[in-house]
Amino acid sequence: MKLTGPLERVLRVFLADVSARRYGYDLMKAAKLPSGTLYPMLARLEDEGMVTAEWEPLPGDGSGRPPRKYYQLTAEGVRAARLELAQAPVPARRVRRGTAQPTPGGAQ
Amino acid sequence: MSRAARVQRICERVIRAACRRLPEDMRAERSREWSAELPAILDDQSIRPALRRAVRALTYSAGIARTTWQLRRAGRGARPGQTSHWRDGAMPARPANVAVRAVVGLVVWLLVVFTVIWLVRAFPHVHGWQVTLGMGLAVGFDAFCLADIARAGQVRYLPKWAWALICLAQTPGGGIIYLSIGRLGRARPIQPGSGPPGSALRP
Repeated sequence: MKLTGPLERVLRVFLADVSARRYGYDLMKAAKLPSGTLYPMLARLEDEGMVTAEWEPLPGDGSGRPPRKYYQLTAEGVRAARLELAQAPVPARRVRRGTAQPTPGGAQ
Repeated sequence: MSRAARVQRICERVIRAACRRLPEDMRAERSREWSAELPAILDDQSIRPALRRAVRALTYSAGIARTTWQLRRAGRGARPGQTSHWRDGAMPARPANVAVRAVVGLVVWLLVVFTVIWLVRAFPHVHGWQVTLGMGLAVGFDAFCLADIARAGQVRYLPKWAWALICLAQTPGGGIIYLSIGRLGRARPIQPGSGPPGSALRP
């Protein structure tokens, strides 16, 4: 798996709350990605077994909207995503802010 | 009907059309998944005014069209690291004899052009049936090319719709270019059974 910028953003969004299930538009907004980038990536991650997709049973808000499909990292996906992000070069602004610095060689 | 509802209908139509590129077993589900996101976009109060939400929904649908295009190209189901049937050498995109094909196409096209010029000069008084015959031949040739494009699993260099446009735009030149260069011909697997799992997508 090659870690591209958009992929890294999607993985960071997923890892921000591992237990959260997210639908497509939610991910688009959180990762600031267009649908034409996000969905092919989700399909690939699903093929690789890193992400599972599930239909919501029935929308609970009574608005009568159609049920959505929700995406979530699998256990294997969480492990692989953490590993990938730990090996990724740290973005410059994160270094400046001094946040979320992976320890070198960590999570191996 | 409100504008939001109208926009939603247009977007749903775009998404349905885009999903036709997918294999039949996933078409309906994908279409439902992507259409179900539309209400969230059109009700997203963080985007104002409503016109921007409508634009967002339309660009979302355009992105879905790009998505299905990519899924089809990648051969959904192919494992990472493997390239599609198209790229893995089972059927070279660029044939070794492309120059020969181009020259043959050019010669055929010139022959057709000179034959037409000769016919026009030899028979200056054109009858109705001759025009009808000529038109019939042209339409028949176009129909043959279009049918060939439709039947072909894959074509070279350009997407199918582009070849179809070229065939229609210039009769008979476009069709001749397609037949000489764009047509894939018969499949020639380099190694039997070397195609990746995703290749089953393209019969």
